[in-house]
Amino acid sequence: MRSWLAFMKKECTEQLRSGKLLILGLVFLLFGVMNPAVAKLTPLLLEVMEEALAQSGMFVTEASVSAMDSWVQFFKNMPMGLIVFVLLESRIFTKEYSSGTLVLSLTKGLERFKVVAAKALVLSVLWTLCYWLCFGITFGANEYFWDNSAAQNLFFSVVCWWLFGVMLVALMVLFSTLFNSNIGVLLGSGGAVLAFYLIGLIPKCGKYLPVYLTGGNSLVYGLAEPGDFVPALLITLAISAVCFALSFPVFNKKKL
Amino acid sequence: MDMLRITDLHKRFGDKEVLCGLNLTVPEHSIYGFIGKNGAGKTTTMKTILGLLKADSGEMIVGGEKVLYGQTSTNRYIGYLPDVPAFYPFMTAPEYLRFCGEITGMKKAECEARSKELLELVGLGDEKHRIKGFSRGMKQRLGIAQALLNSPKLLICDEPTSALDPVGRKEILDILLTVREQTTVLFSTHILSDVERICTDVAFLNNGTAELRGKLSEIKTKYRSEEYLLEIDSEADLPKLLQAFPGMEQRSGKHLAFHEGERSAFEVLRFLSDEKIGLLKFERMEPTLESLFVEVTQK
Repeated sequence: MRSWLAFMKKECTEQLRSGKLLILGLVFLLFGVMNPAVAKLTPLLLEVMEEALAQSGMFVTEASVSAMDSWVQFFKNMPMGLIVFVLLESRIFTKEYSSGTLVLSLTKGLERFKVVAAKALVLSVLWTLCYWLCFGITFGANEYFWDNSAAQNLFFSVVCWWLFGVMLVALMVLFSTLFNSNIGVLLGSGGAVLAFYLIGLIPKCGKYLPVYLTGGNSLVYGLAEPGDFVPALLITLAISAVCFALSFPVFNKKKL
Repeated sequence: MDMLRITDLHKRFGDKEVLCGLNLTVPEHSIYGFIGKNGAGKTTTMKTILGLLKADSGEMIVGGEKVLYGQTSTNRYIGYLPDVPAFYPFMTAPEYLRFCGEITGMKKAECEARSKELLELVGLGDEKHRIKGFSRGMKQRLGIAQALLNSPKLLICDEPTSALDPVGRKEILDILLTVREQTTVLFSTHILSDVERICTDVAFLNNGTAELRGKLSEIKTKYRSEEYLLEIDSEADLPKLLQAFPGMEQRSGKHLAFHEGERSAFEVLRFLSDEKIGLLKFERMEPTLESLFVEVTQK
């Protein structure tokens, strides 16, 4: 336990001193602020552009925005945030492979599963913190400017999206134990998500795939019921669990 | 007691057999020089001992305990210094040693005291900067400190001096000599002068086996060469000598060499005196590790 804690401490120190924590914090803070800001600024923007729009035959009569517009922004911006997260953190394992820093720790008797456990936990916690920071800011601003009660199933829909991120973290961990370069990690995780999208194009499959969880808009507008999301939710949970679980034996047999 | 015993170790990468039946015995409190060309399999052997690579077959015993791949509990006896040790660049040297201590389950106070002592030993006692800014020599010295942290019974160093300048090399060798009291040292190298300076035992690795191994002094006696070197006064006499002694070979200018097996040294001396050939030097060669190394690797 003590050696695992020591490795955790090292991971945290690394996130802090390498500046990754700061960058991620700032990016998700920015997204959190942008969601309500964009919604708030839309009427102003339309007003400014009224003349130009009128010339092209469009007339702005009344532009009203609500918390809904801000939540639409939230779900629209979150993929961007997740991509930044993945790009920044994809080297968490592979950097140690290429520099050889793990060799000394492992030859000192640090068990391999503790490495996977520490890194997986750090990634999951980091994603959770970033995500809920962004959510918290958007939620607070929406509550201040408008009223969040307009959005239906809000909490459920954001939990779904968060879980999609957790699954991507699990994929990253698994592909990090399989591949030695972060290109492999990025292609593997990205490829898996792409595959989900493509399979999702088949009408009957769509609602069983993890990608379905990112469609929070339909939930907040009340176009879908939480019950519709349950199959995808369970499957995503299962995929995450399997990926995390597989990472341990794969890493145990890895040549370093 | 033997600190490390390797029996019939085999390892193959693809169709290249790197180790084919390696046998090695490292006695306690020795400084064991593990000598071989680049690519001879030195690093492979060491990584297998540490459980970083899986052996195809063979047995390794460290401190009386068998090495198992994946679950290498024998690593608690071992301190390891890789050829290019990699540390977390964002830490300072004391922080890194504290991290190592926590991983190995050392008591906090013990770890602090030992870190301080070792950092003094390797000359990093006053270093406050992060490892990011360390030179190669400094990293190598920190590498020795981390390897010695939990007082290992066996210290394995993979080419610890290869990448260093003469001063850095001397420092590392001196440190290895100092720690001999506390531990057994196995180090690989292809720098033979390093071996002659500090090693008590050696093994030459060639073609995947230890072709020659044992106490350095015994090997030297056993392989005492029968080679003589002579330097004559005038080059004009060269053809005469070469004609009389066909086995003699010209090294350079007026230098000649011959093996006593072919003609006795006295015979040559007599010929020189009869023919009144001026002599500048007549020397019996001591075997150097270099000549042994060449002999072993060219067999």
